[in-house]
Amino acid sequence: MKTYQPIDAFARDAEPEVKASVYSTSKAKYDKRLASLSTGFTAPDDLRKLAGQIKQHTIEHLDQYLEQAVTNLENNGAKVHFASTPEDANQTILGIMQSINASRMIKSKSMVSEEIHLNAFLEKHGLESVESDLGEFIVQLDDDMPSHIVTPIIHKNRRQIATTFEKHGLGDYNDDPETITRRARKYLREKYLEAEVGLTGANFLSAESGRVAIVTNEGNARFSISANRTHIVLLGIEKLVPRDKDLALYLNLLARSATGQQLTVYTQFLNAPKSADQPDGPEQLHVVFLDNGRSEILGGEFKSILRCIRCGACLNVCPVYRQSSGHAYRAVYPGPVGAVLSPLLKSNSYPDFADLPKASSLCGACNEVCPVDIPLPELLLRHRNKSKIEHQKKAAAGTPPLGAWAELCSHPTLWKTTLATGKAMNHLPIDKMPIPPIQAWTHSRELPEFRGGKFRKWFKQRKS
Amino acid sequence: MNAPKPKPSKEVDLMITCLCDTFYDQVAASTVKVLEHVGCTVQVPEAQTCCGQPAFNAGDWKAARKVIQHTLKAFSSERTVVIPSGSCNHMVQHGYPLAFEESDDLEDVISFAKRCWELADYLVNGLGVKKWPGKFDGKISLHRSCHTRGSDSYASAVQLLSSIEGLELLEFDESEQCCGFGGTFSVAYPNTSTSMGKLKIEKLTAVKPNYIGATDMACMLHMGGIASKEETPFKVMHIAQILDQALQTKEAIA
Amino acid sequence: MSRSNIFQSIQQATQSIPAEAKTPLPDWKPGDLQSAFTPQDQADLWEVFKDRFIAVNGKVIEDTSEFQDILQSEPGSKLYVDPLVFQSIQPLAEGMNLEICQTFDVDHVDDYPISVTLAAGIIAETGTVIIKENQTSSRLSALAPWTHITLVDKRTTVYATLLDAISDLADDPYVVFITGPSKTADVEGILIEGVHGPGEQICLRI
Repeated sequence: MKTYQPIDAFARDAEPEVKASVYSTSKAKYDKRLASLSTGFTAPDDLRKLAGQIKQHTIEHLDQYLEQAVTNLENNGAKVHFASTPEDANQTILGIMQSINASRMIKSKSMVSEEIHLNAFLEKHGLESVESDLGEFIVQLDDDMPSHIVTPIIHKNRRQIATTFEKHGLGDYNDDPETITRRARKYLREKYLEAEVGLTGANFLSAESGRVAIVTNEGNARFSISANRTHIVLLGIEKLVPRDKDLALYLNLLARSATGQQLTVYTQFLNAPKSADQPDGPEQLHVVFLDNGRSEILGGEFKSILRCIRCGACLNVCPVYRQSSGHAYRAVYPGPVGAVLSPLLKSNSYPDFADLPKASSLCGACNEVCPVDIPLPELLLRHRNKSKIEHQKKAAAGTPPLGAWAELCSHPTLWKTTLATGKAMNHLPIDKMPIPPIQAWTHSRELPEFRGGKFRKWFKQRKS
Repeated sequence: MNAPKPKPSKEVDLMITCLCDTFYDQVAASTVKVLEHVGCTVQVPEAQTCCGQPAFNAGDWKAARKVIQHTLKAFSSERTVVIPSGSCNHMVQHGYPLAFEESDDLEDVISFAKRCWELADYLVNGLGVKKWPGKFDGKISLHRSCHTRGSDSYASAVQLLSSIEGLELLEFDESEQCCGFGGTFSVAYPNTSTSMGKLKIEKLTAVKPNYIGATDMACMLHMGGIASKEETPFKVMHIAQILDQALQTKEAIA
Repeated sequence: MSRSNIFQSIQQATQSIPAEAKTPLPDWKPGDLQSAFTPQDQADLWEVFKDRFIAVNGKVIEDTSEFQDILQSEPGSKLYVDPLVFQSIQPLAEGMNLEICQTFDVDHVDDYPISVTLAAGIIAETGTVIIKENQTSSRLSALAPWTHITLVDKRTTVYATLLDAISDLADDPYVVFITGPSKTADVEGILIEGVHGPGEQICLRI
């Protein structure tokens, strides 16, 4: 069916295999999430609201908490860097690598590193940067983009992966998931041991102690900071929580919301370089904070999106994401959170992403599952309003103009006349009318019999 | 955001909603009969049109404000307003304050919202109706119309329907998922919207209900529209129609 | 330069929010994280831990012969034993055709199919083993071997809940909570264990 919206075109054109895989994985995760939250807690909804409030408080006082965290990190021996733009962040990381004559980096999964396109940047400078999360590793081999925050290769099946491995010299074609995993283990183990620098993201940073919490199921974030001497933590400025005890609340919610686990397999806390008598691990700890538009978001009507803890639950439940898959959103963060965040990031241009907030039936399922209770539908609506005021073409495409309709609705006499004459609709071949919105409807849907004004008539007759 | 709503009165204005005014007159009629059964005096303000949601959701807040202002005028009587739609009520409760966030009229729309009630929520939490009389023979898959999220409407509808003798509410898969309507979304994203609707119908009908129930005419319009096109019609009933039908039985009359 | 710019921009944003409109920091108590799990006395905590550790595919061994069976499954190889647990483990591993090592050679990390290190703590609520930097002699030894065994003894703190354990991170620079073997479900959602870390995560109490 003809469409003016790119995400809708993705939903129409997606390979049936991709669609099936995205749908079944998302659905399974939603079901597991629900089960683990409702069996785990007596009032999970109250916890979401509490977690939302703490995060909202944190971002509304971000200057104080960031200052506190930085002081603590520096007192513990970490070197703290700030980057306004992706370019700044890349340069900072390059500078760190050059300062120790490093040529190889092993990377744990980090969405911020995707945001700044770190791999491509380092490659351009002749440095090796290897993804260690299995999914991200496969994405890197394929020169592809992750299509989900938590499960980057939700759009790929084992046959595609086996072909990729074969192409890259990782053994003969074999699509057994266990074999694929073992081959990656062997290959990446060497990379861990060779790399001079390990880069990770951060799931949370406690201002109170400067403690960074990083979670992975595979153990890659742990390996990335065990065999080398330099650890770089790359994170957005909004990743803070006020107190260590808050980590308990968020870790409980994160694992359950992301994968339905009670706790992620490796949940690690670090606040300093390795201890003096520990043989393994980083002597240097660098923490790089990225802004990329976040401080501007903080000052405006979209600030609550900065609560996000990147669990992916809103993607998993979103019916539009399930139909269209993550690549439809054309940016690092897909799904409802991406539809709000992508247009706002400094490195993206608003007009290019102005259509994303339209990709929603506003059903509100995203808000219902959000562990920090972000009012996602409200934020999508705010974008739509902004786009309309700014005459954003990509947002407007396909949406019928409603000015005349508003006139009709604010003039009751006109409204009633239309109700009376609208009966003609029942006798007109409306599906043949060359009006795009009508065609878009009637291509796959009928309209019921028009019964305009019948109720008013019935009500009056009854009264008399 | 708002303080709890004051208890409503039984003197009510019915918000017909534009969809009842154009397609679903029977839902509005059933709503009147249901309200009268619990002792309400129902009036239908003549000047009402639409709550303004289509424009609001499409992003045209200027157009929406115009319609909202008209709606406030049409319902200026200070009576309780009952709406047989979770969606229009959601618009009044959440959309109105957003659309008027920076306006001097904000107080007015908030105080209007406090007078407005979705039908099932009104019956159960507003009036304290715990059990519905009469009988209804049949199994129903009750679609959880999305705009009842975050409100007491869906739970109220479940409470009322499951109290009716003979009525069985079925459990079905993916009950949290949307029917795909979404106002102008349905025509701006026709492929996504239709696929969502088909999937919803598949899940609702998989458990072999006699009827599909809904708290919103918009969901009925969308699912019904797909079903007619596919020539696999099924019976969709609004909760007001179900409650009304139960009242028509001799058990209720006796 | 970036630093002051960013702080300035953040300050501008936070100051634009009127004080009365700012969200206060809610305090919360352990009871608010009330889970279906209620901590009981210390004896029960071990049982709860066991159930939950097994539920995440961890293994619990409380019998020396079972431990020795595992050691015997890798004849002729190197067994890494952390100096902190050497006293307890050495007598059990002696005479087993294993080279018992107290240092972990990072140039040959794949030479050690099994390692034994100290469990600094366990968490009953989540079925978690805790290892701490200051009670682990080599990070890699607790990560690279396929089978990682943690010894629970008198030095191991038993925590009822995740919150209890997080409240006790103290000054340790690097604490790891391990809740089962290393795993992935990246390929078609199929669970595979032993991705980068241990495929067997064992908790030993003797």
